[in-house]
Amino acid sequence: MNLILTIAWRNILRHKGKSLVIGIILFTGAFLMTLGNGVISGMAAGIGKNIIDGFMGDIVLVSDKQKSDNILLEMMGANIEPITSYKVIKPVLAAQPYIQRFLPAGKNLAMLLDENTATPGFAYLIGVDFAEYRKMFPDNLKVIEGGYPAPGDRAMLFPDSQRPEYYNFYNIWFLPEGGKVVKDNLSKEALADIASLPVSSSVVMLGMTSGINSTSDIRFPIKGIMRYGALNKIFGHFCLVDIESYRDCLGYITAADMAAQVPKEEKELLGMEGADLDSLFGGDLMAADHKKASVNTSAPAAVLPRTEDGAYNLVFIKLKPGTGYDKALAGLNRALSDAKGGVRAVPWNKASGAIGSMALIIKSALFIFVMLLFCVAVIIIVNTLTMSALERASELGMMRAVGAQKPFIAGMFLGETAILSAVFGGFGILSGITAVKIIPLLRITTANDMLQLLYGGDFFNPFLSLSDIALTVLQLAAVTIIAALYPMRVAARITPLDAISRD
Amino acid sequence: MNIIEIKELKKDYPLGTTIVPALRGVDLAVAEGDFISIIGPSGSGKTTLLNVIGCIDSPTSGSVKVGGREITALNDTQITDIRLNKIGFIFQTFNLIPVLDVLENIEFPLLLMKKSEAEARKRAEKLVEEVGLKEFSSHRPSELSGGQRQRVAIARALVTNPDIVLADEPTANLDSVTGASILELMRRMNELEKTTFIFSTHDANVLKYARRIVKIKDGVIEKEPAAA
Repeated sequence: MNLILTIAWRNILRHKGKSLVIGIILFTGAFLMTLGNGVISGMAAGIGKNIIDGFMGDIVLVSDKQKSDNILLEMMGANIEPITSYKVIKPVLAAQPYIQRFLPAGKNLAMLLDENTATPGFAYLIGVDFAEYRKMFPDNLKVIEGGYPAPGDRAMLFPDSQRPEYYNFYNIWFLPEGGKVVKDNLSKEALADIASLPVSSSVVMLGMTSGINSTSDIRFPIKGIMRYGALNKIFGHFCLVDIESYRDCLGYITAADMAAQVPKEEKELLGMEGADLDSLFGGDLMAADHKKASVNTSAPAAVLPRTEDGAYNLVFIKLKPGTGYDKALAGLNRALSDAKGGVRAVPWNKASGAIGSMALIIKSALFIFVMLLFCVAVIIIVNTLTMSALERASELGMMRAVGAQKPFIAGMFLGETAILSAVFGGFGILSGITAVKIIPLLRITTANDMLQLLYGGDFFNPFLSLSDIALTVLQLAAVTIIAALYPMRVAARITPLDAISRD
Repeated sequence: MNIIEIKELKKDYPLGTTIVPALRGVDLAVAEGDFISIIGPSGSGKTTLLNVIGCIDSPTSGSVKVGGREITALNDTQITDIRLNKIGFIFQTFNLIPVLDVLENIEFPLLLMKKSEAEARKRAEKLVEEVGLKEFSSHRPSELSGGQRQRVAIARALVTNPDIVLADEPTANLDSVTGASILELMRRMNELEKTTFIFSTHDANVLKYARRIVKIKDGVIEKEPAAA
C-alpha cells in the first residue's frame, strides 16, 4: 500500500497540470455538493419547522370520508369532510404516550362577500379555540394591529398579507375593531388613497362546502390583523376564526346546537352523514342564505365549555420529540380504527399537499442538479485519467513486465484519484461547510413564495448535519471510485508488450 | 537440466489483412546457468523469441516450458507471477520508473513480492553497490546517464535472484566502454549466482562474452556457432 501511495503521490506531483485540472473539478464538485446538500437539508428542516411547528403539526386527522389527504391548499378549495366524533377521538389521542399536544380545528373555503359590489372573493377559514391555538402554535404568528380575541369571542384574525389584495379588489382596507390606520402597514395603493381610505372592521363570509345543503353568511368582527412568522405568503391565505362562528358559517352543528338538545335525526342531518340535502331544497338555497346576511357578533359565549361537542374538519397533532414517526403514525391509525373514530391519521407532508409536493419537487430538482454535477465531474475526470493512463503506457507496461499484477496498476490509479479527492475534495467540502455556516448570517430574504419554500422560511438558511456531511463525503467517494473505474481498467489492460511496442 | 525448453514455437503477427510470421517453428533448449547470446539480423525474430521466453508475449503455437512449467497453459496472473519470481528482464531502452529513485527502482520487484521494506532496501543497497551506483542511490532516472540507467535496470533484473535474466540488446544504446562493463557485470553475476543469461545482440564485441551462440534468421534457428 505504501508503494502504491508513494508512486501515486509522486505521479500527481509529476503531472501537476492534469492533477490541478482534476483537483479543481473535484474541489468545485465537492463545494457545490456540500452547499447543495446544505440547501436541501435546510429546506427540509425549514419546511418541517415552519409547517410542523407553525401550522399543522406532525400528523393531521381527517375524516374517513375525506377522499384526498391534501387538506391545506387543494385545487379549487375542495371541501374537507367534517369530523363529528371528536368526543370519541379525544380520549384515544390523550392515551397515546407519543403525542405531545393536539388541536381540533375547522378548515374550509369561504366566500368573502362585498356588501357594496356583491362581487365575491375567497379566503380559507380556520376555525379554532384561539387560546388552544396559541398553546399549540405559540410562535407562528403575531398580531400586528388590534389584539387576540378574548375567550368565547366570535371573531376573526385577518391576515395582513391579504389586505392589499382585498383593497385592490373591493377598495376596502380592513382594520381591527377600534383600530386606526397604521401608515407603515398600508400597501402602496392604500397609502396613495390615505386621505379617503375606506375602512371596515368586519368581513361577511359565506361558507363553501359541497356536501352540505345549508351554509350561512356570517359577519366576522375583525379583532386583529396577524402576520405569520414564516411562509407568510402561503399561510397568509388563512383567516383564523373562532370555531363556533366557523361552524355557523359552514352550516355545521355547533356546540350551541348541542346545548339546545338537537334531536338525533337532525343531528345526523347537520352532522354531515353524507346526505346531499341540496337535492331536497333545491339549488337556490345558497343565494337565499346569502341575502339573509345574519349578524352573530352578539352571540353568547355560554356554550364554550361544550365547544368540543360540535363538528370539526381536522385534528392537528404534535408528537413528542424523538418519537419514531412511522411507528407513531401506524400506532395512531390502529388505535383510531379500534375506537371507530371515523378518522384516519395523515402525515404532515401528505396533508400539506402542494407545499409538501413542491418541497419534494424542489428537493428532487436540487438532488438532480447535484447528480448532474456528479456526472460532469465523473466524465471530465474519466477522460483526463484515461488520457493519463494511455500516455503512461510505457511505464505501466514496464511495471507489468517486472511482475506488477493488474490490481497493483489499478490500485495505483485509484490511489492517485483518491489522494486528489482527499486533498481537493476535502478542501471543497470544508469550503462548502464554511459557506453553509456563513449564508444564514447574511439573512438573505425573499418575498417570493417559491423561494420561501426553498429557503425553508423567511431567509435563506442552509443547514448541514453530521449525517449530511457524511453523505457528501460518501458522494465524493462515489465520484472518486466511479471516475477511476474506467481509467483503472484501461491502465490494467496495458501489457508489457504495449510498453515495448511503444519504444 | 534444461531451464527452458521450446518446441515448434510459432508466432504470427497480424498486419492488416495479412499475417506476418515472426517465428516459424523454433526448437531450443537452454541449460540452467547458461550464458547465451541470440544473434541475427533485424527482423529475424530475436526480440520475439526473448519476449515469448520472458512471458511478455504469447506464442501462436508450440510449446514453451520455463522452469518446467508450460507457459502457454497459464493465465495472466500466473504468467505475471513467473515474470516476477523467475525472470529478470533488461530492456533495450532502460525502462525505469521515473518517479522512483535508483534504490526504489531496484527494490521495486522485491516490494511486489511482499518482502519487508527493510529486507528489500538491504538487498537493493547491495545491488546498487555491485553495479557501481552507490553515490547515485537517491537520484531519479532523469538525473542519470544512459549507462547508469542500464546498470540500474540490470540491478533491478537481478535483485530478485531470478532463475533467468533476459536482455534485449542491453548494450545497444551504450558506448563501448559502458557496454563492456555491463556485460562484465552480467558475466560475473552468471558465475556467482549461476543465473541463466540470454541476451540478443547485433554487437560482435558482445559475442565474446557468450558461452553459447544461437543464430536466428527469418524466424528459424539456423545453427549454433561455437562460443568464443
